[in-house]
Amino acid sequence: MTLELAIAILVTVVGASTPILIAAMGELIVEKSGVLNLGVEGMMLVGAIAAFVVLFTTGNHYLAILVAAAAGVATSLIFGFLTLSLSANQTATGLALTIFGTGFSALAGQGYSARPVTLLGPLFPSELAAHPIWRVLFGYSALVYFSFALVFSVWWFLKKTRAGLILRAVGENDLSAHSIGYSVVGVRYMAVMFGGAMAGIAGACFPLLLTPQWAERMTAGRGWIAVALVVFASWKPFRLLAGAYLFGLVMTMELYAKASGGPLSVIPAELWAAMPYLATIAVLVLISLRRDASTNAPACLGKPFLPSN
Amino acid sequence: MMQFRLEKRREPSKVMLYATPVAAVVLTMIVGAIIFSAIGYDGVGAVREIFLTPLTNAFKWQDLGVKAAPLIIVGVGLSIAYRANVWNIGAEGQYIMGGLAATWVALATHGMGGWWTLPVMMLAGVAGGAAYAAIPALLRTRLNVNEILTSLMLTYASVQLIYYLVRAPWKDPMGMGFPQTRRFASEALLPNILPGTIVHAGVPIAVIVALVAWFIMSRSVFGYQMRVVGAAPHAARYGGFSENKTIWLALLVSGALAGLAGMLEVAGPFQRMVPGFPTNYGFTAIIVAFLGRLNPLGVIFAGIVMAITFVGGEVAQTTIGLSSSATGVFQAMMLFFLLAGDILVRYRLKRVAPQGEARA
Repeated sequence: MTLELAIAILVTVVGASTPILIAAMGELIVEKSGVLNLGVEGMMLVGAIAAFVVLFTTGNHYLAILVAAAAGVATSLIFGFLTLSLSANQTATGLALTIFGTGFSALAGQGYSARPVTLLGPLFPSELAAHPIWRVLFGYSALVYFSFALVFSVWWFLKKTRAGLILRAVGENDLSAHSIGYSVVGVRYMAVMFGGAMAGIAGACFPLLLTPQWAERMTAGRGWIAVALVVFASWKPFRLLAGAYLFGLVMTMELYAKASGGPLSVIPAELWAAMPYLATIAVLVLISLRRDASTNAPACLGKPFLPSN
Repeated sequence: MMQFRLEKRREPSKVMLYATPVAAVVLTMIVGAIIFSAIGYDGVGAVREIFLTPLTNAFKWQDLGVKAAPLIIVGVGLSIAYRANVWNIGAEGQYIMGGLAATWVALATHGMGGWWTLPVMMLAGVAGGAAYAAIPALLRTRLNVNEILTSLMLTYASVQLIYYLVRAPWKDPMGMGFPQTRRFASEALLPNILPGTIVHAGVPIAVIVALVAWFIMSRSVFGYQMRVVGAAPHAARYGGFSENKTIWLALLVSGALAGLAGMLEVAGPFQRMVPGFPTNYGFTAIIVAFLGRLNPLGVIFAGIVMAITFVGGEVAQTTIGLSSSATGVFQAMMLFFLLAGDILVRYRLKRVAPQGEARA
């Protein structure tokens, strides 16, 4: 394999991984606060259509990202209100949110399919990324750099800040956090909204970064893979980064298997398409064999907060 | 100013348990009309076409039955699983595998079938769905892998399996290049039970499935086990009910019923396997199970309500040009209102006098 090809693979993998990474980082914060939001896929779809419509009408990529984030927050507030204010079942509400996001995005996207937009270009001038080696560092769009910064910020927030400590306390022992005066529901609302914003931006990655158009269900289960990745990473940001790139590799492998013409090229296209989902199951099985797999889960994950008074 | 406070009920309210699904449907119609009008659609028209036309137009009743049947069968299975707190959300995949298993029988016996073809296809469908649900069951009980994610990932994989099979090994050589199987022989097609309509044998089967499930869930040890393990896992362990066995049963039963629905669909309305076979019945059945309050009899009504929105969605598409995806939005809204209403089952609204007046 030539250096050029290796770098081309790396750059494609980073692109394919970015939406999963961003959405999973949001969900990591949500779960750290003790809330399980299974609506990531739905929020991503709402973000994707919001980004597409704004991009199509204004041509402004950054405005599209902002609106996608806002749309993600708005969608997440439905989940927040039902589960946090009305203590509805989180699993069922998350599923409902995904059903809603799928239907809503399809409705809002009516008439937008097969309309082309332009992808978000690289952040740095192309001279900087002229040499293949420099492309690895400077060849990406702003969304990719955002995802790098996000991983570091989430890690720093959880480990080094007081707010991060409060968030973790709420997720580990909501009653204690409540009794020393923290607003459990308030903290969880913030976390859920952050998760919504990230899912919205992750959804925006699809029309802005991957395929410059709108298609119903274009996120194709990536939101669910993001939820699985959080478990895979045992709620640790840097492990999540590694996991997301592993998935990006699985998702783009087909291109190279086909191009190389080697023994892998006989695998039918449908099996390649099924690969990310089968890999998710394989990964979940692998981590379950590890001893610390579930011990790192936030203790209050998925349980409603019900103070006695 | 009047103030309200939530007060926990000593026991969940039976009235609210059954009133909230009805309220959810009514609220969806009202709020749906308002929201759809606000975003520039004919909101009242949409609600009328989606919720009322399928009921008032007798010609649409047969569609209702045909659409409700798979929703009820899958919904009954899911209601049993969810009762046991087992979150099988991959019913769509189990439905697909049931349909594929039945297709395999139909293709393998093509030209040499007989009265036994349909029963064998039915068994294959049930086995296919159950086998596919056995994967999450095995992973959950042996390795404690979350069944939500595995069952869903398997659904995405099964869709690709259809694409592969109808593109290559099962492709109809006489199909003019279309990726689909040949039309099943007449022995492998569900009989119509009402001449002149599209109502097939799956419709009465759905009602029978729901009635049998209701009887088993409310009258047998199996049903008791499902309910106790779901509601009070600790108590269930003391009572000698194995949690693993419950997980297995919940997934196998829900998978088997989803597989049965898949068989009935492929041998009924579809008559062959096509790439468009997955029609989201498996996902919509999740809403059906909740709207039916996880009670098989409730699931019958919920299945009919959901079928109304499907048929109505098609009506609205032709009469007022509303996208069929609007149906999904209405269905999700229904579930949101239902989940929001759950708080009224466990709590009551109590009027609290403002502090100043309280002393007077």
